Amino acid sequence: MPIRRFGGHRSLVSHSQPSKLSYGYTKMNVSRSGYRVFSANSTTACTELAKKITERLGVELGKSVVYQESNTETRVDVKESVRGQDIFIIQTIPRDVNTAIMELLVMAYALKTSCAKNIIGVIPYFPYSKQCKMRKRGSIVCKLLSSMLAKAGLTHIITMDLHQKEIQGFFSFPVDNLRASPFLIQYIQEEIPDYRNAIIVAKSPSAAKRAQSYAERLRLGLAVMHGEAHHSESDMADGRHSPPLSRTTTGHTGLELPLMMAKEKPPITVVGDVGGRIAIIVDDIIDDVEDFVAAADILKERGAYKIYIMATHGLLSAEAPRLIEESAIDEVVVTNTVPHEVQKLQCPKIKTVDVSMILAEAIRRIHNGESMAYLFRNIAVDD
Amino acid sequence: MPNIKIFSGSSHPDLSQKIADRLGLELGKVVTKKFSNQETCVEIGESVRGEDVYIVQSGCGEINDNLMELLIMINACKIASASRVTAVIPCFPYARQDKKDKGFFDIPVDNLYAEPAVLKWIKENIPEWKNCIIVSPDAGGAKRVTSIADRLNVDFALIHKERKKANEVDLDDMADTCGTICHATPGHIQLISAGATKVYAILTHGIFSGPAISRINNACFEAVVVTNTIPQEEKMKHCPKIQVIDISMILAEAIRRTHNGESVSYLFSHVPL
Repeated sequence: MPIRRFGGHRSLVSHSQPSKLSYGYTKMNVSRSGYRVFSANSTTACTELAKKITERLGVELGKSVVYQESNTETRVDVKESVRGQDIFIIQTIPRDVNTAIMELLVMAYALKTSCAKNIIGVIPYFPYSKQCKMRKRGSIVCKLLSSMLAKAGLTHIITMDLHQKEIQGFFSFPVDNLRASPFLIQYIQEEIPDYRNAIIVAKSPSAAKRAQSYAERLRLGLAVMHGEAHHSESDMADGRHSPPLSRTTTGHTGLELPLMMAKEKPPITVVGDVGGRIAIIVDDIIDDVEDFVAAADILKERGAYKIYIMATHGLLSAEAPRLIEESAIDEVVVTNTVPHEVQKLQCPKIKTVDVSMILAEAIRRIHNGESMAYLFRNIAVDD
Repeated sequence: MPNIKIFSGSSHPDLSQKIADRLGLELGKVVTKKFSNQETCVEIGESVRGEDVYIVQSGCGEINDNLMELLIMINACKIASASRVTAVIPCFPYARQDKKDKGFFDIPVDNLYAEPAVLKWIKENIPEWKNCIIVSPDAGGAKRVTSIADRLNVDFALIHKERKKANEVDLDDMADTCGTICHATPGHIQLISAGATKVYAILTHGIFSGPAISRINNACFEAVVVTNTIPQEEKMKHCPKIQVIDISMILAEAIRRTHNGESVSYLFSHVPL
């Protein structure tokens, strides 16, 4: 098999040599059952990624109809036979998260009852991944979602840059957590002139590990930002007291447990020198951009002359495009795991990196039963 | 009542409040919101450890969002060590009329009927109900229609789509019963031409999606009567023909009986006061 490298080549499989693309396909498909690729999204913006993936694979997208009825119930109609085949359902998660989840569940169940052999969900951005911890009397929605997907008939999931790698443990079936970092690193090397004068920045200590793995691969320095201007929602851990605090302490018998001290965070500081450098902030999800904008302001103050943000999943909700446009950030680079065309129109600073190649390669390897290890080489433990 | 908590989802807070009032309880504190990326977040505001929890959420409005909210709330209660969690779903989403049966679930299901409330409404609100005919808009609803007709001791009729002549009966008043309709059927116009003086449409779940409201306004119904399994406030503003039967007492009584371990079958033929 020809050696394929990530870094130096534009694409893993070159389009000018179609025979290479089909090498091994006809051989494999004769001996194995076929596979079909479906998209369970109902809006055209979301099916873009599915179209790109099927183009790279050289197959047609499976015929199905997914729509919302007038009373907002989801309806899925699979228009071709799937008996005994490996089925890949590509689902991107747009603004309407719950509908997208329902579409995926309904399609998976429809395929299961139509005797598909394996049903593999390709969900590049996995929803509710931020709700994977117990918060006061909340629900661990990620666990609930994984149970629902298993019940609906999925047998395997391909995803990208899970918010917490431990989420893989919630599932009762295999999860392939691909990485977008090779693509983002390639973008840095090719599109940022002068990148050797850059420094990788972690917006908060929790992102430090990821930032460090980028810094090592690019052979650049690392800076970590600490402290917050306001209380961050995602850090709220289980705040329950056990036993419950009583309003009137009337000589309770029992242990005098020391109260948890409320965490006091200092104002934002930067550990590391960014003076006279390009600052590249690295994170997995960019959603509410207020934290990023505040970080960019501080970095500008400390002497960074250009500020880039590299994130895998560009959710960019609410006012994000406007805030980015008005801020000190020079460019926001995201992948096409989450559709963001509308945000791009509002803010020209947003750039997209196409990751359909690695998803297509993963689909091909899983169907052919080949090893996925090649897709994970050069990935650090902490990425 | 000890050890019982009732929580409301965001689909129909009005009905949940009515149910809680009938039971003499306060609704449990729960915060439901959406993050900026539209993910649902639920936080239960009080202890449910060891409690018998009832969550009221109807399958209406944005069905997928409400369904997800219900699932997350159930999950949160289970993780918080509730002793039993029961979902009260007045309008069950994604169900055909005859598929709400126990065979599709692994857990106990109590499928209540609006019939007793409908009968009561007919007797109280339609003068000369003794001379009316109960009509089913299609063959599938025949069983339901005959059951009501028997209890009222009146005749019934069927609208069969192929026949040009609507039906052969001479009538004064009429009441039309169906399970769920999403849009008004043109068959009702035929009933007028067949000699009915008044046409009432009685439905359990008034979904009224799409152009239903304008069609009802243009059609010749005397009244369209629905239960409050689905919130009707907004629709009543647009369509004065819509009237609402309150079924909160049926649900409240079912909750009370389930909590106390009593039989629920009394509710299949009686309306609690």
